[in-house]
Amino acid sequence: MLTVSVKWQKKVFKSIEIDTSQPPYVFKAQLYELSGVPPERQKIMVKGGLLKDDADWSTMRLKNGQKLMMMGSADEVVKAPEKGPVFMEDLPEEEQDANLGYSAGLVNLGHTCYMNSTMQCLKSVPELNSELSNYQSARTKDVDQTPDMLTVATSELFSELDKSVKAVAPMPFWMELKKKYPQFAQLHNGNYMQQDAEECWTQMLDTLSQSLKAPSPSEDPDAVKALFGLNLRSRLHCQESSEESSETESVYSLKCHISHEVNHLHEGLKHGLRGELEKTSPALGRTAVYIKESLIDSLPRYLTVQFVRFFWKRESNEKAKILRKVDYPLELDIFDLCSEDLRKKLEAPRQSSSKGDDVKMTDAEGSSSGSGESSTGDQQGGALSHMTGIYDLVSLVTHKGRSADSGHYVAWVKQESEVLIS
Amino acid sequence: MAPTPDPNSVGGGAKQDEAPVKVPSKDPKKKDEKKEEDLSEEDLELKQNLELYVERVQDPNPELQRDALERMRLIGTEGDIGSWGHEYVRNLAGEIAQEYTKRQSEEAPIDDLMDLVQQIVAFHMKHNAETEAVDLLMDVEDLDLLLEHVDKTNFKRTCNYLTSAAKYLPGPDDMLVLDISYMIYMKFEEYPNALQIALFLDNTQYVKQVFTSCADLLRKKQFCYMIARHGITFDLDDEMVADDDDREALQDIVNNTKLSEGFLTLARDIEVMEAKTPEDIYKAHLLDGRASSGASVDSARQNLAATFVNAFVNAGFGQDKLMTVPSDSTTGSSGNWLFKNKEHGKTSAAASLGMIQLWDVDAGLAQLDKYFHSNDNPIIAGALLGVGIVNCGIKNDCDPALALLGDYIDKEDSSVRIGAIMGLGIAYAGSQNDQIRSKLSPILNDAKAPLDVIAFASLSLGMIYVGSCNEEVAQSIIFALMDRSEAELGDALTRFLPLGLGLLYLGKQESVEATAEVSKTFNEKIRKYCDMTLLSCAYAGTGNVLKVQDLLAQCGEHLEKGDIHQGPAVLGLAMVAMSEELGIDMEIRSLERMLQYGEQNIRRAVPLALGLLCISNPKVTVVDTLSRLSHDTDSEVAMAAIISLGLIGAGTNNARIAGMLRNLSSYYYKDASLLFCVRIAQGLVHMGKGLMTLTPFHSERFLLSPTALAGIVTLLHACLDMKPIILGKYHYVLYFLVLAMQPRMMLTVDKDLKPLSVPVRVGQAVDVVGQAGRPKTITGFQTHSTPVLLAAGERAELATDKYIPLSPILEGFIILKENPDYREE
Repeated sequence: MLTVSVKWQKKVFKSIEIDTSQPPYVFKAQLYELSGVPPERQKIMVKGGLLKDDADWSTMRLKNGQKLMMMGSADEVVKAPEKGPVFMEDLPEEEQDANLGYSAGLVNLGHTCYMNSTMQCLKSVPELNSELSNYQSARTKDVDQTPDMLTVATSELFSELDKSVKAVAPMPFWMELKKKYPQFAQLHNGNYMQQDAEECWTQMLDTLSQSLKAPSPSEDPDAVKALFGLNLRSRLHCQESSEESSETESVYSLKCHISHEVNHLHEGLKHGLRGELEKTSPALGRTAVYIKESLIDSLPRYLTVQFVRFFWKRESNEKAKILRKVDYPLELDIFDLCSEDLRKKLEAPRQSSSKGDDVKMTDAEGSSSGSGESSTGDQQGGALSHMTGIYDLVSLVTHKGRSADSGHYVAWVKQESEVLIS
Repeated sequence: MAPTPDPNSVGGGAKQDEAPVKVPSKDPKKKDEKKEEDLSEEDLELKQNLELYVERVQDPNPELQRDALERMRLIGTEGDIGSWGHEYVRNLAGEIAQEYTKRQSEEAPIDDLMDLVQQIVAFHMKHNAETEAVDLLMDVEDLDLLLEHVDKTNFKRTCNYLTSAAKYLPGPDDMLVLDISYMIYMKFEEYPNALQIALFLDNTQYVKQVFTSCADLLRKKQFCYMIARHGITFDLDDEMVADDDDREALQDIVNNTKLSEGFLTLARDIEVMEAKTPEDIYKAHLLDGRASSGASVDSARQNLAATFVNAFVNAGFGQDKLMTVPSDSTTGSSGNWLFKNKEHGKTSAAASLGMIQLWDVDAGLAQLDKYFHSNDNPIIAGALLGVGIVNCGIKNDCDPALALLGDYIDKEDSSVRIGAIMGLGIAYAGSQNDQIRSKLSPILNDAKAPLDVIAFASLSLGMIYVGSCNEEVAQSIIFALMDRSEAELGDALTRFLPLGLGLLYLGKQESVEATAEVSKTFNEKIRKYCDMTLLSCAYAGTGNVLKVQDLLAQCGEHLEKGDIHQGPAVLGLAMVAMSEELGIDMEIRSLERMLQYGEQNIRRAVPLALGLLCISNPKVTVVDTLSRLSHDTDSEVAMAAIISLGLIGAGTNNARIAGMLRNLSSYYYKDASLLFCVRIAQGLVHMGKGLMTLTPFHSERFLLSPTALAGIVTLLHACLDMKPIILGKYHYVLYFLVLAMQPRMMLTVDKDLKPLSVPVRVGQAVDVVGQAGRPKTITGFQTHSTPVLLAAGERAELATDKYIPLSPILEGFIILKENPDYREE
């Protein structure tokens, strides 16, 4: 009869008696009572080896009071989950890139960067995506089928972009675009001319709004308008005659005029909403200078802002680009550009949700400023689910290059992870 | 004749060639003149000679002057040498050294010189000029004389000088010098220092002597802590400690059983117990731009990296957020992370549990147990390796690692075999355990064993017998090398065979020569690799300049493609030079040259060499160099540089390196291999949440732990060819680093070994060797209370007189004794 102590995990079982006439299995059963570890899972370490169930105690030369160590647990044995995880390394090569979390790009077909960047911007509007995917081709009575075909082409292009992980060559779309808007097919020295992204954007919205008109009047009659259109209420005021008139107009974008005082997008927008124009004054019977002050009457889900950087230099008769650096925020608050009525509507939600989860986007046609870094241009702004008047930047198109006739367009799209990529 | 006969001006005389020389010349002459009345013939001749010398002293030629002066002293008076002044004595010492070498070459007797030496040494030792005394004695090769002259006031400075001089002496003088300082320390009962030297000399007899000479149990406990830190296996016998219970308590300390507890005390004190996830380390949110936005599919490579990061960061804390999550919870059972790793990745994942439970054998075994019952071979392999890791540096009477792993060595599956073999190598590194040798040696010469099993067996044997020069193990590895086919010799893993052989001779200098001879007969594919590895291991940490030159010469050659021996040569340069600051600085400079002029295979090894030189010591210049290399066009260079950034920042939480790595992670986001290296490096930088170090040096950089160095060198050799090893399926070689992982702490304990908090000053260590007076040993210090962290190059000193530390080197565990003379103010 021997007495030993057994250390198990952090516990020590002191003075356990071993009946050396019995096989070690009996000893293990003793330990089972103490530790709850089934004998077959016990590993008992005696000097230099494990205690076997059928070992002979006498060969082990145990001493009285010796310390033994036991390893074992009643824990469940780890089992592999039935379905192992799928590893990126196992996927085919094309799919690996997709999992890095970026969407596919578009191939430049030769001076089509304006188109590509515009389409990437449009693509970043999820509502438009879903509208397009629901779009049923209605090529029936209409004489002019081009808008319809262009819309179909857009829809196809978007779905291709969703599926693909490699850059897509937007050939069919390009053909349709040229068909619908022949100005984009102009050649210059045998190449397609460089074009204006803003023009492309406007035309695209125009087309889409035509074709995406809901078939039934019960629904929102014009999806595109709901998404991008905004109403401006303008007040015309003639200083000479004190005449006043007001009108409302519906536009797809706000213009940000850039002059010497404008350092920030907000200032530019204000500037753009105020203008002077000459028109015939019924009271005076001649043309007079009217001041036009516009305020926003209704906000779209996505607000488009255009930086008006290209202008016509009268003295030299050429197009030029304004290289002034204008800051734009990632979050734009246009509250003070809104009309009284709209402000009232906005106030309540603004208080409740200081920031809200509005989505929005801005799309800027830009040029790198003198330093070549900050971008500029046509901006398109984001959605507004709870009307608060605050927009997040969703995407923008920038123009790089000094002159108005050349350069390169790049689209920057904000991802869910709050990252802008090209 | 000299004009000023004032002997007082002598002592302060600075211009020794003019005034002071003339002055003493006058003095003895006068003495001689007084005796003139009863001169014998002999004396008369002497007098004439002396007069001649005096004349010569005034000779414009300084050579002649000095010569004359010395002869005068030799022939002249035998009175108090000091009366001639300090400058004179110093001058004389120099002359004697020259004269000694001259006479040695002529085999002339030196007795008269030695008499003078006696006097000079006695003089120097009395007048705070221990360094000069030591220098003189070294010149005349009679250091034993020192023993007579040291006393309580000057022995510390003497020994300090001796031990630091040893680094610059050629063998065997260095050993002699250390021997002397050991004896001096023993003479003055400065046992901790004596023990340090005994450990340095790897002289078990001396270690024993320290124990038998000291009667105080508490002091012996302190010795045990020192031995434990050094990481050698040491068994106390009843001669050293008579009482059984005491011996058991002491052996427990040597066996490092309380290391985990101490480390956790430190962690709790610093409040870093909270487990960290790999994401906490990556800090991707600080990156702007293109950090990948939540990849939807798991990448096996990145999960593996996360496994390692998690293991390194939470090492020793016993808890993490991937592996030890309670298994019963319905959502995140611990099995889940394991199965997010692919095939061989599961080995590293299971083994990471051992790393998390590091040093806590009981808890570790309990956690690993469940994997033993898995039916998946990589998991079993990981469990085996984990057992080895958890036992790293810890010894236990029951030998749990051997008991558990022993049976798996000869299993069918080679991954399981490797797990067991590597586990044994890590758990028993430095133990020279015969039982394991008898199990592993047969594998080496088993014709049927696959190459990888043989490679790891060789490596483990090298670790277990590190620095032992064991003949039998050497034979087995040599035979294994000779048996390899041409194709096998080209395999990347073959490099572990010569490395295992080299580890046997780690730091043992000439002892390697016989084996090095044998290695010349190897197949030419491996011959030079073997040669370089043996040379570099044998002289690792010695600072031997001749060997550095040998290795440099090897690196200077421009080779045909396919020759790989320059890699180990470059690593060897770092290994040899790493022992002291000056050598390190010179080495960094020459490595910079190699980057510019070396071949590609040299450039690939340079970052690794830099990593070894500055391990856990992020020197700004080296960080910059590595940062530059981490963008190298050769991706192998870049990978090596990235891993090295991790090594030099290991356990420091260095913000600069962490920032660099973060940027690299976005720079290389598309390259899975480089990104893997970046992740590993990030894990290393935050190793043990910044409480650990990888440096194999300890005790104020005096001692080099052989097992720690073995672990690092193994990893570096594996890094010489990343693709097939670390980026292939042998990534678990990263766990060899565990051998070098140590808490970088200073923990004070009371006489019952319970933690005791006292104020300490921690500051940059100052080199005070050979300085006059009682210079400050640290600068720019801050006062903390223990336990404290010590960074590279830092030193601590107690800021209270209430306690007396039992070891003068305040690192690791320090026992404090109450100061009986302390009075509360």
